[in-house]
Amino acid sequence: MSAGLLSLTVLAVAIAGYILGRRRAVSVAGGDARKLHSLPSYHGQSVFLFTAVPAFVLMIFWLLAQPVYIENRVTALIPNIEADDAAARELAMADVRRVASGLDLAIAQGALRQADLDTLQAGATDLRGKLAGVGVALGADVSQYTFEAAREYRALKGSLGIGMALAVLAAAAVGFVFARSRISVAFRARNVSESFVIAMLIGASLVAVLTTFGIIFSLVFETWHFFELYPARDFFFSTTWSPRFGGGSSLGILPLLWGTLYVSVIALLVAVPIGLLSAIYLSEYASRRFRTFVKPLIEILAGIPTIVYGLFALITVGPLLRDWFAQPMGLGNSSSSVMTAGIVMGIMVIPFVSSLSDDIINAVPQSMRDGSLGLGATPSETIRKVVLPAALPGVVGAILLAASRAIGETMIVVMGAGAAARLSMNPFEAMTTVTVKIVSQLTGDTEFGSPETLVAFALGLTLFIITLGLNVIALAIVRKYREQYE
Amino acid sequence: MNDMRIAERVVDSMESKITARGVQVFYGQNHALKDVDVDILDKTVTAFIGPSGCGKSTFLRCLNRMNDTIDGCVVKGSIKIDSEDIYDPKVDPVQLRAKVGMVFQKPNPFPKSIYDNVAYGPKIHGLTRNKAELDEVVETSLRRAALWNEAKDRLKSPGTGLSGGQQQRLCIARAIATSPEVLLMDEPCSALDPIATAQIEELIDELRSQFSVVIVTHSMQQAARVSQRTAFFHLGYLVEFGETGQIFTNPKDPRTESYITGRIG
Repeated sequence: MSAGLLSLTVLAVAIAGYILGRRRAVSVAGGDARKLHSLPSYHGQSVFLFTAVPAFVLMIFWLLAQPVYIENRVTALIPNIEADDAAARELAMADVRRVASGLDLAIAQGALRQADLDTLQAGATDLRGKLAGVGVALGADVSQYTFEAAREYRALKGSLGIGMALAVLAAAAVGFVFARSRISVAFRARNVSESFVIAMLIGASLVAVLTTFGIIFSLVFETWHFFELYPARDFFFSTTWSPRFGGGSSLGILPLLWGTLYVSVIALLVAVPIGLLSAIYLSEYASRRFRTFVKPLIEILAGIPTIVYGLFALITVGPLLRDWFAQPMGLGNSSSSVMTAGIVMGIMVIPFVSSLSDDIINAVPQSMRDGSLGLGATPSETIRKVVLPAALPGVVGAILLAASRAIGETMIVVMGAGAAARLSMNPFEAMTTVTVKIVSQLTGDTEFGSPETLVAFALGLTLFIITLGLNVIALAIVRKYREQYE
Repeated sequence: MNDMRIAERVVDSMESKITARGVQVFYGQNHALKDVDVDILDKTVTAFIGPSGCGKSTFLRCLNRMNDTIDGCVVKGSIKIDSEDIYDPKVDPVQLRAKVGMVFQKPNPFPKSIYDNVAYGPKIHGLTRNKAELDEVVETSLRRAALWNEAKDRLKSPGTGLSGGQQQRLCIARAIATSPEVLLMDEPCSALDPIATAQIEELIDELRSQFSVVIVTHSMQQAARVSQRTAFFHLGYLVEFGETGQIFTNPKDPRTESYITGRIG
């Protein structure tokens, strides 16, 4: 029984449980629902939850554990693999899985019979030809042990699948019977379903937190691998970045970090003044009608796909800067430059600054403005000395959000600033950023064992730590300077 | 503290500080204030009483043009302070508000230190030449607002950390630091407990020696306690205006009598 069908069955049982539980609650009370502690629907709900939730949780864990178990059992059947050669083992297992799914297909199409399979010898029959006949092409003839492993794989998968179906259905049934037997006039079904809801909410937030930890863990793990192959000192302090997949590459992060910071700083220099000033205009001076009209227009900027910004950088801004600024000033003749990417990226993050700051400035109580205006301050004095200091934490938060968007941006950089890793002060020269290099190291035919590939994880982790550090510093600054109203 | 005290009814000066003639206020379609004539004397406490929505706060906010900040508010008629029309196009509302200070219903200290709160007005108007003068202004303002003894050791701590009554006295200190000529108070005690209220009322009585004070209040006892002149507003009309004792003991208009005895409002 497949997982999908099984879920539907459990769901059907749970819905039946709801209806039956509700009905039983009413009949226990002698037809008068007012005698019950909880409304009949809560009794139904508790039966539903007790039937469905444990069964689904069991199913999820089973589905997670099953492949690991099968893998362990089947790997043992493959003889000539050194226990610690992960790559060879992975390769052999891929073969086994492919043959197994080929056999499945062959049986389903009638090219093979289940009964024949047990007596079949891989050497005696042309298994490769048979599988090719049903559309599964294999790279080499199937060896006897691969075939046996595949057979074992299929058998285990089949029996475990049935086992799972039985266990899940049993869990659903037990839950159903247990919950139904608890129904009585005094049973606090309302409180039970309330605590169930709390448990589900906790579960949901745990998933989010655990995912974050999972991401960090995988990054740290691969980074560790990288530093075993490549000296950390060279990575952090070398000023050249020239990966060669033939070996002998030099993987210094400094040019990439420099590019990232340079582009982001230019982006923020564009976005923060424009965004903040427009937020101040919109929230303090503009009429209500103008504001409701213009604010969504600015927010549209955030909805444009970054690749479109990239095109804008490549076709319009880049040549414009080259022809009007870089060449006349003798600063180079490249149309991809840090300036191009920075300016376009700045335009992209304007709405992050303006829209959030606008909301935050609006949240400053009117009584603050009245107090300042009542003392004879002009509107702009009021904004500078009272409103902005009170809104500071939120404004810094908005800027941080924009900064992390800018640091993580890839597409605009590729198209605007190019892909050449370089350490230079000239803003009209092509440079590149950490994210762009992560992409270029991981795309194409690569194996996950060389430092040239694994460096991507080290880059990712470094970037992550830098943005985390920025956040921490900004929070500390805000805490020191914030002016808290109430 | 004697809550049964009654303010001195004798006024020090019969000079008119503010003269309002035929004042009409519209909020969009809503005719909020109809044809109000008032003369507010110098160095006198004038109380505005009346039920909610009667226009007394609206009129108060006309006196320093705070109504300008409200969209769709139109003021007609003439209001003169020292015989200068404050709605004249030549008058800068910002300058006017420095001359006519205001204290609001809810204490609204800025989220700054106590010192910076009081120094705010003098700083933006450039009233002092150096730090020492500014210190002096801050100290005298806090003293006059009866907050100096409580605040002198914590001038650098935030004004929002004070209690409600202290915050309101801080707002009064902030208002008098710009040395205004008129002080407007919009229900300054409605968010305070009785002890803080009594302190503020005493303070108002002392402030009368320098300023002309206009106070809006919902409490008739408060009006009786602190003011020399009382104006009764009802449904946007100024019903009766006169000497406080006379308004409370011998009102001329039947509506005033009904309100004071608790039959309307």
